[in-house]
Amino acid sequence: MWCFKPERIYPEAAFHLPYNWGKMATSLTRTFGSLRIVARRGLKNAELALNIQHPGPLFLPVRTKKRHFIPPAVGMKGKKEENPEAKARAAGIVFRQQYLERPINIACSAGVFDPYIPPEGDARLSTLSKEGLRQRTEQIRQSAASQLAIRKVKEYDSQFSTKTFAEQAQEIFIEAHNALTQFNKEKLHSLVTERCYPEMTRGNRYKTIRWRFVESLEPPRVVHARCPDMVTKGNLYGQVTVRMHSKQTLAIYDRFGRLMLGSEEQPKDVLEYLVIERHLVNPYSRWRLHGKIVPSWAPPKDPVIKVTVYFGPLIIFLFRLLDG
Amino acid sequence: MAVAMSGRGVAFIRNIAGSLHMRLQVLGGASQQLSCLHTSISLDDKHWEKNNRKVYPPQLPEEPRRPAEVYHSRRQIKYSKDKMWYLAKMIKGMSIDEAIAQLEFNDKKGAKVMREVLLEAQEMAVKNHNVEYKSNLYVAESFSGKGQYLKRIRYHGRGMFGIMDKVYCHYFVKLVEGVPPKPEERTGFDQAKEYVQGLKNRTIIHSL
Repeated sequence: MWCFKPERIYPEAAFHLPYNWGKMATSLTRTFGSLRIVARRGLKNAELALNIQHPGPLFLPVRTKKRHFIPPAVGMKGKKEENPEAKARAAGIVFRQQYLERPINIACSAGVFDPYIPPEGDARLSTLSKEGLRQRTEQIRQSAASQLAIRKVKEYDSQFSTKTFAEQAQEIFIEAHNALTQFNKEKLHSLVTERCYPEMTRGNRYKTIRWRFVESLEPPRVVHARCPDMVTKGNLYGQVTVRMHSKQTLAIYDRFGRLMLGSEEQPKDVLEYLVIERHLVNPYSRWRLHGKIVPSWAPPKDPVIKVTVYFGPLIIFLFRLLDG
Repeated sequence: MAVAMSGRGVAFIRNIAGSLHMRLQVLGGASQQLSCLHTSISLDDKHWEKNNRKVYPPQLPEEPRRPAEVYHSRRQIKYSKDKMWYLAKMIKGMSIDEAIAQLEFNDKKGAKVMREVLLEAQEMAVKNHNVEYKSNLYVAESFSGKGQYLKRIRYHGRGMFGIMDKVYCHYFVKLVEGVPPKPEERTGFDQAKEYVQGLKNRTIIHSL
């Protein structure tokens, strides 16, 4: 079958050159195959007389059929790229071993160590009943380790005091949630640890959150403290649990501005156990929100998903009318 | 001076335009100050998918509930854009269940791909875009576009050749929450009435 042969490639040609034309050693020999080595023709008279000998051109281009288009896929058939590494090694070039090291700074611990177990029915039972007494005894038992931890924290941070710290923690909490509503990433990172950040912001990028702190029902107090160390022995992180009882309003709107969860007018009483953490060894570290403790007796309820059997568009229409 | 708008300058302006379109907080009317600045969208970015990132401000309680819109597409489908157009035109305006059912029993190659795209879009709508009922969607827009072609040689006799295009197409679909709108039915009588009205509206200007 007659296939077209690539002709000699002129640099000044109008059509598009394959970009590796200079490197195609094989095709160049093929191109030059279509050329003729020009024999020395008979010299003209003047040149004979003057005994001028022009060395003739070694290769003359031969006119072939003009190719208007060479598709890029044609040259790719025989091109299997050999291992450049093997070539370099064969040539004797030795590369120094490349260490891919990138320092990773861990500024927060992975989770909550020895989490505080909130007593059952914390805000619901009175202290005078039997349950209340049992709670108090449990608290006293846990508090020994907490005292140790608080003493350790005071070693690194001399101004630490449980009374002021609770207020500070509440402020951090309020500021962090305000930054979440504005989605101010830098401020949020300074108020919230790296472990808590994805928990707070997952799925919220295209939603509008409106949160308001109405008032605090009880003064916040420190209930628990631990000082775990990560990886090496001296790398101390301080984790303090603060108990907060407050009124808040939360309303989450989806991408289209429709109310998804909560309501803006109706405030809810919220009892929370916040874990605030600080990398004690680092003098520039700050106390940041690390997580919340959800008691086992009050798991977060899933938002109500209205599921109905679909009989046709009419039924859905009716539900929509009922919802208003 | 005309050389000032060289390739790099155009690409720069296109990049600005792309980033301007990113997260629009207010739709529609608030851009009166910028109405003089008409920007074009760059050709490389996948613009259709970016429509999914648009966030509307929260609605006031007395406003009617805004229907959810989900944009989805598939790129570089090995099919012709003209053949895909027939299927896209068929399902335009149908409810999603009807569209999926019709595509399931259609014999064309593009129907299978289109059905997958619709199912993906439906799942995305329910999971990510807060659509309550997965059947409460209809196909608002559906069209096909040209993808990037590969070129090959088709050999003819006598040393002649032709350039063969290996065709690819993109398919775009937009699902909107709600009942599909009924297409307006215009009878011949209505059209005749409008024609006569047009004749009656003619007037002679600059007459006595």
